[in-house]
Amino acid sequence: MATFNVNVTIENKPGISDPEGETILNDLVLRGNYESVSKIKSAKMLRFTIEENSRESAQLKVQEICDEVRIYNPLVSKVTFDIFDA
Amino acid sequence: MSLESQELDELKSKIGRDPTSTELQIVAAEWSEHCSYKSSKRHLKMLPMTGPLVITEKGYDSGVLDVGDGYVVTAHIESHNHPSAVEPYGGAATGVGGVIRDILSTGTRPIALLDGLRFGDIEKDKQAKWLFKNAVRGISAYGNCLGIPTIGGEVEFDECYKNYALVDVAAVGFGKKENLIKNHAQKGDVVVLLGGATGRDGIGGSQFASDSLESEDRSAIQIPDPFIEKLIIEAILEARTQKLIHAMKDLGGGGLSCAVSETAESLGIGIEMDVNKVHTRESDMHSDEIMISESQERMLIVTNLEKLEKLKIICKKFRIEYSVIGHVTFDNLMHVKKGEETIAKISTDIVTNATLLDLPSKKPVYLETIEHEKDFPQIDDYSETLLKLLSSPNIASKIWVYGQYDHEVGIRTVIKPGADASVLRLDNGKFLSVKIDGNPKHCYINPREGAIGCFEEACRNVVCTGAKPIGMLDHLQFGNPKDPEIFWTFLESLKGLTDFAKDFDIPCVGGKVSLYNETPLGSIKPTPVIGVLGLIDKHPQISQKISVDDCLVIVGDTKNELGGSEYFEYIHKFIGDKCPVVTFDESKKNMQSILEIIENKLVKSVHDCSKGGLAVAVSELCMTNNIGCSVFLNKVPGESLPVDKILFSESHSRYLLSVEKNNLDDLKTILEKNYTSFEIIGNFGGNSILFSNDSKPVIDLMVDKTQKTWLNSLEGLIMHA
Amino acid sequence: MKVGVVVFPGSNCDRDMFHVLTDVFHLDAQYYWHDKGLPENIDAVILPGGFSYGDRLRAGVIAAHSPVIKDVQKMSEKGIPILGVCNGFQILVESGLLPGVLLKNDSLNFMCEWTNLIVENNETPFTNQFELNQKIPIPIANGEGKYFADDETLKNLKKNNQIVFRYGDVVNGSSNRIAGVCNEDGNVVGMMPHPERAVESEINPIDNKPSSLIFESLLVKMGVKN
Repeated sequence: MATFNVNVTIENKPGISDPEGETILNDLVLRGNYESVSKIKSAKMLRFTIEENSRESAQLKVQEICDEVRIYNPLVSKVTFDIFDA
Repeated sequence: MSLESQELDELKSKIGRDPTSTELQIVAAEWSEHCSYKSSKRHLKMLPMTGPLVITEKGYDSGVLDVGDGYVVTAHIESHNHPSAVEPYGGAATGVGGVIRDILSTGTRPIALLDGLRFGDIEKDKQAKWLFKNAVRGISAYGNCLGIPTIGGEVEFDECYKNYALVDVAAVGFGKKENLIKNHAQKGDVVVLLGGATGRDGIGGSQFASDSLESEDRSAIQIPDPFIEKLIIEAILEARTQKLIHAMKDLGGGGLSCAVSETAESLGIGIEMDVNKVHTRESDMHSDEIMISESQERMLIVTNLEKLEKLKIICKKFRIEYSVIGHVTFDNLMHVKKGEETIAKISTDIVTNATLLDLPSKKPVYLETIEHEKDFPQIDDYSETLLKLLSSPNIASKIWVYGQYDHEVGIRTVIKPGADASVLRLDNGKFLSVKIDGNPKHCYINPREGAIGCFEEACRNVVCTGAKPIGMLDHLQFGNPKDPEIFWTFLESLKGLTDFAKDFDIPCVGGKVSLYNETPLGSIKPTPVIGVLGLIDKHPQISQKISVDDCLVIVGDTKNELGGSEYFEYIHKFIGDKCPVVTFDESKKNMQSILEIIENKLVKSVHDCSKGGLAVAVSELCMTNNIGCSVFLNKVPGESLPVDKILFSESHSRYLLSVEKNNLDDLKTILEKNYTSFEIIGNFGGNSILFSNDSKPVIDLMVDKTQKTWLNSLEGLIMHA
Repeated sequence: MKVGVVVFPGSNCDRDMFHVLTDVFHLDAQYYWHDKGLPENIDAVILPGGFSYGDRLRAGVIAAHSPVIKDVQKMSEKGIPILGVCNGFQILVESGLLPGVLLKNDSLNFMCEWTNLIVENNETPFTNQFELNQKIPIPIANGEGKYFADDETLKNLKKNNQIVFRYGDVVNGSSNRIAGVCNEDGNVVGMMPHPERAVESEINPIDNKPSSLIFESLLVKMGVKN
């Protein structure tokens, strides 16, 4: 058993609008003349610290938790995971 | 999106050929129940919709009432049930957006919102809790961001809404009569789409609302953007002031298909448009998707080329996107192109005139026996019963809800949420009183009397603030209309509302019908929600602090009709017995007396009796005034009843008045003159809510402890349990 | 004597504020859209409440980058009275004109309710007509109204008499119950509660006189009244 940090990034699924990201891009960043930026996507990140046997099982467990307790609403959002040794 | 097979045959025969795929999508959207009202339209005609204060304009989605001095009030009610049951935050929020745009499209500024929320049993059902919490958050986030106060509403829980949500949003607008948009079109006019970019949101949404909620459909999700809606409000009002708008319609169910076809039909014109010109969020959208997308925060405007240039400047100022998608023709055709290619060319008349159904109806069998009288053995401790009721989700204070809504923005809110009705000040020195009321428990037991009861309750509530009812909004929410028993309940409710409206001269100025509200357990209880608007000429009845020795007077009779009462259903878990019936004469007399009493400034406060009956109404008075009251049940006028029925009967047309002793004589004069049933039943003072019957104590509750329970119960249930 | 009311995309309380300034206190007020500057001859500036840019990213951060803020900064240096209400306060904090930060309320919910303010500094252009410790019944309506400053900043605020208002009760977890602060020069004031909602007896169920003193103070400062 080892301790891992799993970063769970929750963002709106593609095709679903992201008003927050769009406003930050259009009204803040592009107004500052940073024209090389073409897109900003807003997301929420939760970091789970978890005891598991491996990185794979850590990710699987966190995925299970996210689905079970509805950490994210699967109709609107998708989740991605990044695992690090704690 | 699809048509039923006989509808498809009908379409083919009307156009004399097979429809193109785009034509099929357009017609399927417009002929869906949600847009066409095919199940109900034939019958809705029975409602009285005209009156001396009612203003009718072509193509309006909202009702308009003249409030004098060149000013008008607009009102509308909408629901977003299916989307809210799937994603409550977005569903409720976009529901607010939709009704606001309906108000805006008349050319008036939206000035208030009301929300009616119904969910399953939140004491047992985690999902109901989740739906409730997030629907409130959604309405809060959207309404607050728009800067439109949510001034009132209601919250109710019932098992029949398990896994489901009823989210009703009503909005009120205000403005000058001369600024109302007079929808018209002239030669050379163009059609402009303004607002959010069109994406794949809600594809299948309005058709979706016409099917039952059997499978979760991702594409029903609509993401709210209240910031852009706020900008649209300001831009449209500025465009209106500069007289740049010939015709306007908001995009809701069915998206462009419905907005374009309905606009064309109501103006007696044709519209030619090109999907390639529509500003989209995604680059690879199919034409059909563009036509039926339900992306939010979009408005359709018809104007001429010269005014268009000024409109563009306004859009630029408010950083709103727009696209000139087409122009007006005079061939009464809806002509959709994709570049040079015609993908739909169909008469607007055919599109917007779905064949109205003549559905069969049959009285439900359960109604034959459900109103049989029921008595329960006397309970030992009615104090405990009352406390239980006061902490029950349907009766407990809703402060947890309206504390999340900015109800002060706009500085019009004179009577704040938590009172009988909310009151707004208007610019001409008058006041508008608004309330929405529903009661599915009553309506299940007697659809006709239950619906009338909701209407009367909303009227009572505005009368409590000194307002005369001037208009009604009806939101008729039922299950599957193809079930003859359900359709029968719909017709009965509608007839009841019609009879009341005609007798009391209160026109229906707007409303909605929402059918196919079914859960996996079956249909919801009949849930008509009625909104009433009242006008106060000079001074609203603002509650003054009740003092020791003030008297408690009840106006109206208490009757043996406990069917659908909170007491029977929450305490005894029993559904049945007679549903409260409104006696029209008594109701009128009582309303008249109350208004006269208020005008003569004879009372400190007026409070209506509703859910939980007399016991709850008295308790509410005590808790909001931090004062006790001694009530003598043997004095309560009406039928001779056992103690529990006097306490908890939900008979209509009853009002509680708190009166200073020296005003009693003048009060009695008015009540007697109008042949109103009334009685002095108690006096205020002390620290306890006391009910006695023939000197025998029945209820004894400490005001402060009871108040704490009542105020914190709902929050405790949501946040902690 | 002219008062400028700055309007950002998403401001909501501009019209309420304008009504109070013109109809209740008979001042000459004008709206200024955010993407233009302010005229030289303005005597006071008010940043009203609302949801500028939908409160995206952080309340007030995007508006703080608007062109008009440069002029607001110049005015602040000139000693012109500047009042930021609710979102206006958030914008002043994000643009560095006032110290501290405004976080989400402890309850994590939007809160709309009446509360009491206590006057801690009666020397600003908006509080010169108050007694110290005077109570003001006033409504709040916000989701991000929790004032926070680190210990060092709080020490300085106290030392320089920059705390203008405190809440009478624990409301949203603000450090030291701070409801409003001013800059070191004392001419820029930010407050979370909404005075424009409290000055008329028709809509103030408690007592509209104390909150009226906020505007009376401005009238005195501007020399319109003695």
